[in-house]
Amino acid sequence: MKMKVVVGLAVVVVGIILGAVNFLESNVEYMDFTGAERTSKKAQVKGAWVREEAIAFDAERVKFSFSMKDDNNRVVRVVLDGAKPNNFELAESIVVKGRFVGEEFHATDVLTKCPSKYDGDADAVRKTL
Amino acid sequence: MLLGQIGGLIVKLAFLSALVGAFFYYRVHRDRSNRWLSFARSGYHLATLSLMTSSAIFLYLILTHQFQYTYIWNYSSTDLPLSLLISTFYAGQEGSFTLWALYTSVIGVFLMQYAAKNDYEPEVMSVYSLILGFLLLMLVVKNPFTFIWDSFPNDLLQTGAVPAGISNYVVLDAAKNLWARFPVEGKGLNPLLQNYWMVIHPQILFIGFSSMAVPYAHAVAGLMKRDYNSWIRVATPWSVFGAMVLGTGIILGGYWAYETLGWGGFWGWDPVENSSLVPWLLCVASIHTTLTQRKSGAFVKTNFVLSLLTFITVLYSTFLTRSGVLGDTSVHSFVDPGNWVYWLLLGCIAVFSSIGFGLLFSRMKEMPRVPVEHSFVSREFALFLGAFALSFMALFVVVGTSSPIITTILKGKASAVEIMYYVQTNLPLGIGITFLSGLGQLLWWRHSKTGSLLKSMVIPVLLALATTVLVILMGWEEFEILLFAFCSAFSLFANLQVGYGIYRGNPKFVGGSIAHIGIAIMCLGFITSERYDDKATVSLERNKPVEALGYTLMYTGYRPMERDRFAFDIEVVKGEIKRTVAPSMHFSEQSTLRHPDLINFINKDFYVSPVSVEQPSGPEVKSFTLLKNAEAEVAGFNVRFLDFDFDAFERGAMLEGKNFVINVELQVLEGKKKQPLTLKMINTGSGPEFTSATYVAADRRSYEFTLVRIIPDREDKGKSMMEFTVKLPEDPGAARKGETLVVEASIKPLINLVWVGTVTLIVGFALTIVRRAEEARMQSEKWRQE
Repeated sequence: MKMKVVVGLAVVVVGIILGAVNFLESNVEYMDFTGAERTSKKAQVKGAWVREEAIAFDAERVKFSFSMKDDNNRVVRVVLDGAKPNNFELAESIVVKGRFVGEEFHATDVLTKCPSKYDGDADAVRKTL
Repeated sequence: MLLGQIGGLIVKLAFLSALVGAFFYYRVHRDRSNRWLSFARSGYHLATLSLMTSSAIFLYLILTHQFQYTYIWNYSSTDLPLSLLISTFYAGQEGSFTLWALYTSVIGVFLMQYAAKNDYEPEVMSVYSLILGFLLLMLVVKNPFTFIWDSFPNDLLQTGAVPAGISNYVVLDAAKNLWARFPVEGKGLNPLLQNYWMVIHPQILFIGFSSMAVPYAHAVAGLMKRDYNSWIRVATPWSVFGAMVLGTGIILGGYWAYETLGWGGFWGWDPVENSSLVPWLLCVASIHTTLTQRKSGAFVKTNFVLSLLTFITVLYSTFLTRSGVLGDTSVHSFVDPGNWVYWLLLGCIAVFSSIGFGLLFSRMKEMPRVPVEHSFVSREFALFLGAFALSFMALFVVVGTSSPIITTILKGKASAVEIMYYVQTNLPLGIGITFLSGLGQLLWWRHSKTGSLLKSMVIPVLLALATTVLVILMGWEEFEILLFAFCSAFSLFANLQVGYGIYRGNPKFVGGSIAHIGIAIMCLGFITSERYDDKATVSLERNKPVEALGYTLMYTGYRPMERDRFAFDIEVVKGEIKRTVAPSMHFSEQSTLRHPDLINFINKDFYVSPVSVEQPSGPEVKSFTLLKNAEAEVAGFNVRFLDFDFDAFERGAMLEGKNFVINVELQVLEGKKKQPLTLKMINTGSGPEFTSATYVAADRRSYEFTLVRIIPDREDKGKSMMEFTVKLPEDPGAARKGETLVVEASIKPLINLVWVGTVTLIVGFALTIVRRAEEARMQSEKWRQE
């Protein structure tokens, strides 16, 4: 019986450690571009799309690039693995996940945060009257 | 009174009747007298009947396009086909809560009869009615019949006389001249949801969710009755039913994501997917631990805990996905439903946790203590470990899905976990679970002799090794994946061996083995299709064949489908095979939605999802506007605007109304070379025509100059300007491209195993339900004889 308790506890402890380590590792930390440039880990940066600078899509390599300004007003060219994200033009702010490669930030994910739904809805009501 | 107001009142009536039902069922239990039984039953039936009526009204309003209601305006439109129009019933939050409550109430009607037969009615139904009451409270708070002018008062409420020519209005208060306009068209259903999956998948999922309340109700009933053992037999058929339906719903959702939504695979560890997986895992774990209690009486508390948690995680999942707490951290858009729903759902979790666990703690002491007598080498221990691993899996998924909440508390900023988290935590558990699901079948209850166990393992292990070798032949993979493949194959063959033996003895008992076989086949399908897939991003210029993944692909053009959706036809050729795939994209103001298409071969899927379509780009054209004597750099050389040439003869022609010409004199300066260039504006009766001139630069490339317009300044001729463009020569290195479709093509080997496994699993569940339902019936007959 005691043996079982020990084995059971060991399994639980190993499980919890495994879970916690993975949880912390896969939770990508928020920082600004300067912080992201310093770390070797994957980072999340919040900011806004700089509309004045061109967006580009490279159809051969399937890379979408745009310029983004972080909360400290630093502008960096972001290259996303993939096509233009949904709601890109509408987004109030953008969160990019990835890491720096030279001067560019190479993103694996881009999340777009849209303006509150309610404002859009009031407009939509007027349109469907 | 408007129909919706009646509907709203009926929902309130349903809520009150459910509470009345719960209360009187409880009195029947407490007083141990059937005096209030018919009253309690009527309460429950009235709740069900009212809910059905209000749902019917709701459906009627949807079918007749009554856009006076916010919900209907929000999710439907007049151009939807009937099946999709019906599905807008549950496209939003209020509607899906209605559907959930509706299925819960209908299942309860059958549950009532079942529980009455098993002598469990007052307890089970008092808990169950309370659950129904809480679901209905959600509808009382978030009324699906909300009028649109209550949602948008500023835009729609008006006072004074109704202007002529408006027909879409309602007078709200004649005395105050208060009236409201309402829309004549709805916003329509999200295009992602516009397919047949929307018609079936949510329904199955909600039946699954609803049936998860039944094991909970039985567990609480068992605690109320101080019956710590036989409630299991009564509850099991329902647990298995719930696991079967919810499991089917989960896999259908995965297939929907794979086939239509274009997530690339059938599982993306998305909060919405996870939130239905967690209760399923716990339900399956409880099905296994109850087996041990039937045999040896052990695991009394575990079984209570798991059955309670199954339903509480349904509530928690609903909280995660419906309260807006996950915010923007997921690809799913979570509508912020307001504070009410948030607190109500939290309250719901608190109430049902305290009822369940409160009772459990207060009864803990009097529960029978069954010493654990089995050895390490016993089926009990394998079942225990398996259930333990399933629960841990559920825990990891809950923690991962709750990451935005946890990180908000820890770091003050919400962030979601990467998919890697789920893979790395669940893979070791998956290996353990598949291995145990094979081993457990080979073990005897209480104790197995090691010798006989090893003997029975020989054939499955050899076959599993052979399968693993086949997998390795497809390509080397990391050790954990190969181990997972081995264990899955081991489970498959062990269950085939044992299942065959059981089938020859008593075919009715074969359900468990078949369900395990299904899971094992699915796991093998996961490995081959997710880990041995081949991917390529391909740029397909129209009508030009491109080789990719061993196939020849040729994009032949696009055609419009419904609304803003276009299908892109791609010919896929390999030897004799010649097929067409047509992935499609939906372009709207806000976003591009991408729908994949696939060819299903017997041994693989050829899967194509669109990325973007690029229109042909011409040579670059630069535009310049210059003042007199000003200079501009074009490309390695400069251009100076000298003057207009508009002589007396041409002036005369202009005055006589004849055709006349204005010359624009330019000078190209390249190095030391200077070359004049003249552009003409020829004015005819029908308007000006502009001519072009070509300059050949030192590198022998041609630049085409074209006059765009002349901007004269009559007061100061020196300020007159002209505008022209220069077409730059094409870069000979980059040949000009036609319309190009970019797609991501992939091959998913043996993905059919996933679907075959699913069907097998469902059959296994169904056989188990039949077996366990019969067992419960026999138990109740035995009681009656006593």
